[in-house]
Amino acid sequence: MENDAFWGSNWHSAMGKRPPSMSSAADGQSLPCFVNDADLETALSSLVSSQSSHLAASYGAEMRAVSGRLGTICNSGEISLVSQLHSAHSSCYSTPLNSPPKPNLSARDHPVQGRGGFPGPANPSPGGQLMPLSADPWFAEGAARLSRGGGMSSSSFAGQLGILLETPGKLSRASSSKSLAGSRIGAPENGNEPRVLGTALMEMETRSRFRGSLTPEASELGNGREESSIEEASSLRGTSDSNARKRKAVAGKGKGKEPPSTYSTTNMTEENSDAKRYKPGEINAVVKMETEQNGDVDGEPRKEDDNKAPEPPKDYIHVRARRGQATDAHSLAERVRREKISKRMKFLQDLVPGCNKVTGKAVMLDEIINYVQSLQRQVEFLSMKLATLNPQLDNMDILIPKQMYQGHGTMLQPVYPPEMASAAYPYSHQPQVSPLQGIETSDLESQFVNPPSRSVQLAPIYGFSDATSQLGDFCEEDDLQSVAQIVFRHNQETAFSSASLHEQMQANQMKIEP
Amino acid sequence: MITSSSPSPASRKKTESSGGKAQPPTKWGTAGQQRAYGRRLLDALRATAAGGPLAVKASADTALALTARGQSRWSRAILLGRCRSRSRRKLLRVTGKIGRARAPPAAAAPRVRPDRMRVLRRLVPGCRKLSEQSVLKEAADYVAALEMQVKAMKALAEAFSAARAAEAEARRGV
Repeated sequence: MENDAFWGSNWHSAMGKRPPSMSSAADGQSLPCFVNDADLETALSSLVSSQSSHLAASYGAEMRAVSGRLGTICNSGEISLVSQLHSAHSSCYSTPLNSPPKPNLSARDHPVQGRGGFPGPANPSPGGQLMPLSADPWFAEGAARLSRGGGMSSSSFAGQLGILLETPGKLSRASSSKSLAGSRIGAPENGNEPRVLGTALMEMETRSRFRGSLTPEASELGNGREESSIEEASSLRGTSDSNARKRKAVAGKGKGKEPPSTYSTTNMTEENSDAKRYKPGEINAVVKMETEQNGDVDGEPRKEDDNKAPEPPKDYIHVRARRGQATDAHSLAERVRREKISKRMKFLQDLVPGCNKVTGKAVMLDEIINYVQSLQRQVEFLSMKLATLNPQLDNMDILIPKQMYQGHGTMLQPVYPPEMASAAYPYSHQPQVSPLQGIETSDLESQFVNPPSRSVQLAPIYGFSDATSQLGDFCEEDDLQSVAQIVFRHNQETAFSSASLHEQMQANQMKIEP
Repeated sequence: MITSSSPSPASRKKTESSGGKAQPPTKWGTAGQQRAYGRRLLDALRATAAGGPLAVKASADTALALTARGQSRWSRAILLGRCRSRSRRKLLRVTGKIGRARAPPAAAAPRVRPDRMRVLRRLVPGCRKLSEQSVLKEAADYVAALEMQVKAMKALAEAFSAARAAEAEARRGV
């Protein structure tokens, strides 16, 4: 607690000061100097307070929160302070990133370490270097794609946000306009052709796009890194999928919309009616319209006005461009698609245990893949176990559970809840393992030795299953897995259980400690 | 092809994002589902009394797919795979080759992200040609179903092993 007050007083005393150099020898007093925002101060103080409590768990989340807020605060130009702040924070935990704060490292590390063993180099430096990118995990992919090493990681965040938002949309538009201009691809189902054609077109499109909207340095980046960006973009599965869909829709609609020059004339009326609408569940319609619009010139102001203004309600999904974001119809479609994907990723994040701290699509996908593989492996082990158990049991033993499950299928509903309630309480109130195990095995044994009432037989089995879920609610994942682990330990087939146990432990440790 | 199209009333703004994905097609966490699956699992296990672990896993997966009531793509893929595997293995092999012939152009520009999506597509049955968001949706449903399957099979294995222990003790006692 005194640490919090200590740090807090330092933050407060440092507020309002703006030392140009971070040469103050104190422990991070210079860090929030440039910050006048109370939010950031509270974020930093919370970060500091959380340091004392649990370090590694909240480190990533806090840093990302801080970096996210930093991204919004320092829009442009405060690069040095941002980088210094990042390096200062990261230096507390990891290897230093930039050279300037190095002399401050020693001064800062001592009080930090004095608080009880912060893992100085424990967190990998990529974790610190990823801070700027992690502010925008999703768009960082696009940034990395389009400007390889172009220093976007160190430049301002929010200024690049709009650009990053625009680029995927423009990529798709590029490839789709190529399809319109070039040979008509009759509803291609495979993703190869659009990619190949898209590469050829993206050259000209990237030039025009970067000329039109981006800052000079970004345009240089775009022109200079066309090849790599094109390759990267062309192999992008998502846009190629959407391109395939768009091209299909275009080809399907295809009423001789021949060269792009005629688009502006012929499609204005269609623009007015169908500007930014999405068919129910189908983005193709909107994209189709906009491919025709955007085939010729990007970003005509009157097109944007038309896109923004009309909304006669039809059975389409209306989308509005948010403030400060690209109003391009393609980018809107892309944004909707990305929102859907992020929504589903969040849903998966809730499902997969231990993914709350992990953000970023790639890592999340890794976690999901690991989890699915571990579940499938568990199923395999359990099926092996059941296969060995099955022939050894008498018919009677098999029948008894069968009668339990089948015969009282209808009766289970009224009987089950009170039994479950009565059985759950001992489980829930005793999160330790041995009473659970004792209760369960005793009940099971009693059930099989003398089958009194089938509801009692059933309750412990489902009590076990649901107790684990309840334990999962009460305890953390470690406890739950330890429950399963100890239950398996009492099992006869130690071979299977140890194998699956190791699998579970390894998988869970992989997940819990990313 | 994509069954996950969310219903759209006349003017649905983008701001309401809770309706699209928040309700999964099947709720795997309920006890009712677990009972249904347990029943099916037991039936399947008794049917494949002497099949070996592969047959047990196949029957367990089939039971899981049946419990899904065909609402999810992976369950349909499992069931169709079971139905057609015996008689049309050759056809499946042929289509597998065709699928592989298309892969090399994609591998020409290898990246880390598409590999992950590809792996996920391979893991979740029946999602080879779906879009990314559909794969994610199917994966969510599949993960929930797998968790329930693992729970049920664990409980069943526990019950069986305890029964065996009790039986052995009873025999020794007698």
